[in-house]
Amino acid sequence: MSGTVVVGSGMAALRLVERLVERGHRDLTLLGDEPHAPYNRILLSAVLEGTHRPEALELRPAGWYATHGVALRTGTRAAALDLDAREVELVDGERVGYRTLVLATGSIPTLPPIRGMVRMDGTLHPAVHAFRTLADCRRLDEAVAGSRRAVVVGGGLLGLQVARALSVRGLQVEVVEGGEHLLRSQVGPAAGRILARDLRRLGTSTYTGARAVRLVTEHGEAGADVDGDGDGAVGLRLDNGYTLPTDLVVLTAGGRPSVALARAAGLDVRRGVVVDAQLRTSDASVHAIGDCAEHDGRLTGFVAPAWEQAELLASHLSGDDVTHTGSRTVARLRATGLDVAVLGDPEGARTLPGSEVVEVTNPLQGSHRSLVVRDRVVVAAELVGDLSRVGLITQHYDRGTVLGPHEPGHLLLGPPRPPVPGGTVADLADEAEVCTCAGVAAGAVRRCSSLEEVVERTRATTGCGGCAPDVRQLLAARPSLTA
Amino acid sequence: MHTHCPYCSLQCGMTLQREGRRLEVAAWPEFPVNEGGLCRKGWTATGLRGHRERLTTPMLRDRTTGELRAAGWDEALDLVASRLQELQQESGADAVGVFGGGGLTNEKAYSLGKLARVALRTSQVDYNGRWCMSSAASASNQAFGIDRGLPFPLADLERAEVLVLVGSNLAETMPPAVRHLDRLRERGGRVVVVDPRRTPTADRADVLLQPVPGTDLALALGVLHLLDARGLADEAYLAARTTGWDDVRRVAAAWWPERVERVTGVTVGELHALVDLLTSHERVVVLTARGAEQHAQGTATVLGWIDVALALGLPGRPHAGYGCLTGQGNGQGGREHGQKSDQLPGYRMIDDPAAREHVARVWGVDPDDLPGPGRSAYELLDALGRPDGPRALLVLGSNPVVSAPRAAHVADRLRSLDLLVVCDLVMSETAALADVVLPVTQWAEETGTMTNLEGRVILRQQAVAPPAGVRSDLEVIAGLAQRLGSPVPFSDDPEEVFAELGRASAGGRADYAGIDYDRIREEHGVFWPCPSPDHPGTPRLFADAFAHPDGRARLVAVDHVGTAEPTDAAYPVHLTTGRVLAQYQSGAQTRRIADLPDTGAFVELHPSLADRLGAYDGEPVAVTTRRGRLVAPARVVDTIRPDTVFVPFHWVGVNQLTNDALDPSSRMPEFKVCAAQVEAVARAARPSPGEPVEVAR
Ligand SMILES: Cc1cc2nc3c(=O)[nH]c(=O)nc-3n(C[C@H](O)[C@H](O)[C@H](O)COP(=O)(O)OP(=O)(O)OC[C@H]3O[C@@H](n4cnc5c(N)ncnc54)[C@H](O)[C@@H]3O)c2cc1C
Repeated sequence: MSGTVVVGSGMAALRLVERLVERGHRDLTLLGDEPHAPYNRILLSAVLEGTHRPEALELRPAGWYATHGVALRTGTRAAALDLDAREVELVDGERVGYRTLVLATGSIPTLPPIRGMVRMDGTLHPAVHAFRTLADCRRLDEAVAGSRRAVVVGGGLLGLQVARALSVRGLQVEVVEGGEHLLRSQVGPAAGRILARDLRRLGTSTYTGARAVRLVTEHGEAGADVDGDGDGAVGLRLDNGYTLPTDLVVLTAGGRPSVALARAAGLDVRRGVVVDAQLRTSDASVHAIGDCAEHDGRLTGFVAPAWEQAELLASHLSGDDVTHTGSRTVARLRATGLDVAVLGDPEGARTLPGSEVVEVTNPLQGSHRSLVVRDRVVVAAELVGDLSRVGLITQHYDRGTVLGPHEPGHLLLGPPRPPVPGGTVADLADEAEVCTCAGVAAGAVRRCSSLEEVVERTRATTGCGGCAPDVRQLLAARPSLTA
Repeated sequence: MHTHCPYCSLQCGMTLQREGRRLEVAAWPEFPVNEGGLCRKGWTATGLRGHRERLTTPMLRDRTTGELRAAGWDEALDLVASRLQELQQESGADAVGVFGGGGLTNEKAYSLGKLARVALRTSQVDYNGRWCMSSAASASNQAFGIDRGLPFPLADLERAEVLVLVGSNLAETMPPAVRHLDRLRERGGRVVVVDPRRTPTADRADVLLQPVPGTDLALALGVLHLLDARGLADEAYLAARTTGWDDVRRVAAAWWPERVERVTGVTVGELHALVDLLTSHERVVVLTARGAEQHAQGTATVLGWIDVALALGLPGRPHAGYGCLTGQGNGQGGREHGQKSDQLPGYRMIDDPAAREHVARVWGVDPDDLPGPGRSAYELLDALGRPDGPRALLVLGSNPVVSAPRAAHVADRLRSLDLLVVCDLVMSETAALADVVLPVTQWAEETGTMTNLEGRVILRQQAVAPPAGVRSDLEVIAGLAQRLGSPVPFSDDPEEVFAELGRASAGGRADYAGIDYDRIREEHGVFWPCPSPDHPGTPRLFADAFAHPDGRARLVAVDHVGTAEPTDAAYPVHLTTGRVLAQYQSGAQTRRIADLPDTGAFVELHPSLADRLGAYDGEPVAVTTRRGRLVAPARVVDTIRPDTVFVPFHWVGVNQLTNDALDPSSRMPEFKVCAAQVEAVARAARPSPGEPVEVAR
C-alpha cells in the first residue's frame, strides 16, 4: 500500500486521499498546480459575493497532510506522463515515480471565441476574467473595487452565481447567454423566463440568444484602447450588433475536462479520460476521477459525483470489490435572491418514453416547478422560485422512492389533511380528553365553575400547562347556571 | 412526606400523604424543578400499591414441569448462590453476568457494581442506561472532561434567549419541565425544535426543523459551516477556552448549506435563519435528547452540537451552554457509581490504576483482585449462552425483552442461559423467562437517593411498609454477597450504603463525599461535585474551567457518515421510535396502572404515505424490518415526515424491529432510525383491539 500519486489537488483528489488515509494507506503524493492547499472550490462565488470568508474555504488544517503521510506539493504542475516508466514529469523536469496514478485534473474554462480577448502573449485582457480558481477569484475581487459595471458571458449555473455576486457587491451587471434561455443545460424555457424576470427585478438585464464576438473600446471601436490603458473601460460587442460598455467581462461559458496530459500520454480520451466501472483508464495502473473523467459516455461536473468516485476508488484501491454505476445530481444555485434546484436532467428525462411531467407554474409568484416521473419514481425535477418543498422532493429523488399516484401532486401542492375531529373546543364531547398530562376530559372541566376549581378538582393545566387555553374556552362556553 | 416521582429523570418533587389506608399524591410546590406540577404518571404513581399483580414471594422454575412455583427466600437465595458458584467453578468468574438499570437508586447501582466486582469478581456487568443517554455521556466526557446531564439547574433555562432542543419531546416525556420553556417565551425568548415529528413540544416552538431521521449531525455541521464562513464564531472564546476548532471548521468547510439540504431535507433558507437566530443572542442553550443520541453515530452527533455550542462561546456563560436531557429516573446517578462495565464509583475508569487503588481501599480488597472492563449492555446480552459468554445473568431494574434492540434475538439469548435470575415487582416479560424471580420493593416502600438530570442528588423516602414477603434490592444483594462468601460485608441499609458510596466516590469526577441525607432534605437536593460537608455543592459548572487537566474544552472533529441501515427499494421508509406521555419505558409499571390509558402500540404515518399504501386511520398496518414485523393500528397525522413512520416502544414487539448497530464509543444501539417496509393489512388479519400482534419474525 504505497506509492500513490494524484495529479491535481482539487476536491476529488482530497476526498480520495482522506479516504485512503482512513483506510491505512501511507506514502501518498498530491501534485497540484494551484498555489493553495485543497479548498472548497464551489464556494468561490460566495467569497466573491462577500458572504463567505476566503479563509473558511480550506478543507484541512495545514498540518494535516504531513501528519497523515501525505506529501502535498502545491504550485507543482505535471507536464507529462511516462506510462512505461511509471513516472510523472513535472514542468521543471523532475520525475515522480508511482505505483498507482490517479488523474484528478478537473476541468478548464471554455474560452468563447471573442476577438481581442486573448492578447498576443497568450494572457487574458486585463478587463477579462475567468472564474475557476481561488487566484481567479482574488483577481476579480480586486478588480471589483475600481469597477461600476460588469458583463457576465454565459448564463449557466456559474454565470448566474457570479452575476448575482457582483450585483450584491454593487456593480451594474448584464448577462449574455448564447442559448435561447438562461440555464439552458438544466431547465426548460418556462423556468428560464422566470429566472430572467427575477434577475430583472434584481436589477440585472439578460441578453439571450446573443453571442459575444469581440472586445472593443467602450464606444464600440476596435483598436488600441482595448489594450486596457486609459480608464480600463471596454465594450463587448454582440452578434446582434449591440455593444455593451463595461469595466469587467467575466467568462462563465462552461468548462471542459482537463485531458491534455492523458491524451499526450496515449490514454483513451474522448470528451474526458475514459474510465471503466473501477475508474481505471486504458492503462490499468492509472485511474481518473472527478470532472476530468468520462464514465459510460458521461461527464459529471459536480462535487457530489466527484466525491462518490473518489470514495469508490479508495475502496477499490483498498481491495474492495466495488462498481461505479453513475450518480444522481442535484444542482442548486447559490445566489442571493434566486431560488433554483435542478434534480437530474429534466430536459432529457421528459422526452424519454414513459415519462410523465407534473408541473405547476405560478407567474404571479414567479415560480415554476415540474417533476418528471417514470414508473412512479421522480427521475428529474426543476424547481424555480419556490423551494419550500425541495427537501422532501430531493429525498424521494435520491432514494428512488416509489410514490403513490397522488403523491407527485402532494409534493408540489401540499399534502392532504389528516382526518381531524371537526368542530371547536366548545363542541368537544364530554369524554374527549382535554388535558393529556393529568388525563382530564372535557366533561370534568365543564363540571367546574372556575379555573381555580379546575385546578383543585382535576389538576388540569398544572402539568405542562398546554391545555390552559382550551380549559378557558370550555369554561367560557359553559351554560350559565344562574337563572 | 416529601419524595420524588418514580419515573423519569426530572424526578419531580411530590408529597405523599396517608389518608386512612390510602396513599395520596399531593403537590410539593417548593421543589424548584417542577414547582408542584406533575404529569398523569406522577399523579397516579401510587397505583401499583397493592396491585394484584405484585409479586410477593420468590419463585423457582420447577425442573420437571417447567412451571414457576413459590419458594421461601432462603431456599431461593441459597439456590441462586450455589448455582452461580458452580457455574463459575466450571467456566470461570465471567460465567456470571449482572445487568442493572438506570432506574435503580444510587445505593443499589453502587452495591450492584460492588457485588459484581467483589463478591462475584466478574467483569460482566452493565446496565440499560447504555440505551438511554450514553452517547451524550461519552460526548460530554470527551468535550468537557465530565459528564453531568445539565451543567446548570433546569430553571436557568427561563433566562435564556434562545433554546435549541435537538431530538427532545419534553412536553410529552416530561411535561412539568415545560413551565421553564413557557417562562422563557413569556420573557421574549425563542425556542427551536429539531425533530422529524411535529411533537407537542414543537407546537410550542418558534422554529421547527424536521430533518430526515439520523441526520442531526449534518445539520450541526451546516451550522458550523456558516458560523465559520460568515465569521460569526466566537474566536476570542475559542482561543482562550478551547482546543480543536481548526480541525472542526475544516470538516465543516465541506458542509455547505446546499449539501446539508440534500442530506437533511432542511432547506438552505431554514439553515441561514437558524444561524441568524443563534448569533443574534448572547444566552443560547443547546439541549440534546434521545432523538439525537440513539444512533450508531450518536456520540458524534452530540459532539457536533457541542461544537456548535463551543463555537458560539456558550458553555460557562450564565444562562447559556450545552446540556443533555437525561431520560431514565436515575440515568445520571446510575452511570456514576459502578454498574457500568468500564467504571468504578465516582465516575472513575476501571482501567485507571489510581482509581482501582482508591476504590479497592474503600472496599477493603486488593486492587489486583478487581476485574477489568467487561462487555457493554447489548454486547453482554448478545454474548449470553455463547461459548465465551456468561452462562448466568442477574437482572435488576430492567426489562430487556421489551427495551433491548432486536429484542427477539435478546430473548433467545436469555433463554439459552443456564440460570436467569430477575428481581422485579411484577411478572415482567423478562421475569417470565427467568429460572428464579425475586420479588422486590418499589419506590415508596424504600428509601434511597437518585441524581436527576441536573446532577442534583435527591432523596426518595419510604412512605409505606412493603407488602409482606418482598425484600429490597439492597437486601437481595447483601444476602447474595454473604452466601457467595464475599470477603467484605455488604450493608442493606440505604443511608449506610450512601455514606460508603460517598467515600468511594471521593476525589472522583462525580464526588458525593460531602453529601448526606440530612443535607439533601434541607437543601432541596445537593449538586455534585460536593467533596466535603462544608462544600455548597456545584449547581453550575464551567464558569472558570472545564474538567480536562488543561482546563480547556475540546472541540472534536466529527463527520456525518449516515445511518447504519439506509433505506432501499425493499425497505423504503424510515422507522423511528419514542415514548408517549402516559407510558414509561418498557411499561412494566405504567401498563399496570389502571388510570393510565394503555393504547397499545400504534404506527404514526403521514397522509401522503397512507394514501400511497392505501392505509386508513385506525386500521391495521404492518411494519417490517430485516429483524421483525409488527402489526398495529395506523394513526394518520400530518405532523410526521412523509418518508418516516413512528412507533412508541413501550410495548412488546416494537423493539423487535429496531437495529442493533452500535455507536463505536457509547455502544448505543441505533433505536432512532432503521429501514422499514410498511403496508396496509387486510381487515381479516386485523388484531384484537388495542393489542399489537406479532405476526412473524
Ligand atoms: C466557481 C465554481 C462554482 C461551482 N459550484 C458548484 C456547485 O455549487 N456544486 C457542485 O456540485 N459543483 C460546483 N462546481 C463544480 C465543482 O467545483 C467540480 O465539479 C469539482 O471541483 C470537481 O472536482 P475535481 O477534483 O474533479 O476538479 P477540481 O476541483 O477542479 O480540481 C482539479 C485540480 O487539478 C489541478 N490541475 C489540473 N491539471 C494539473 C496538472 N497538470 N498538474 C497539477 N495540477 C493540475 C487544477 O488546477 C485543480 O486545482 C463549481 C465550480 C466552480 C469553478
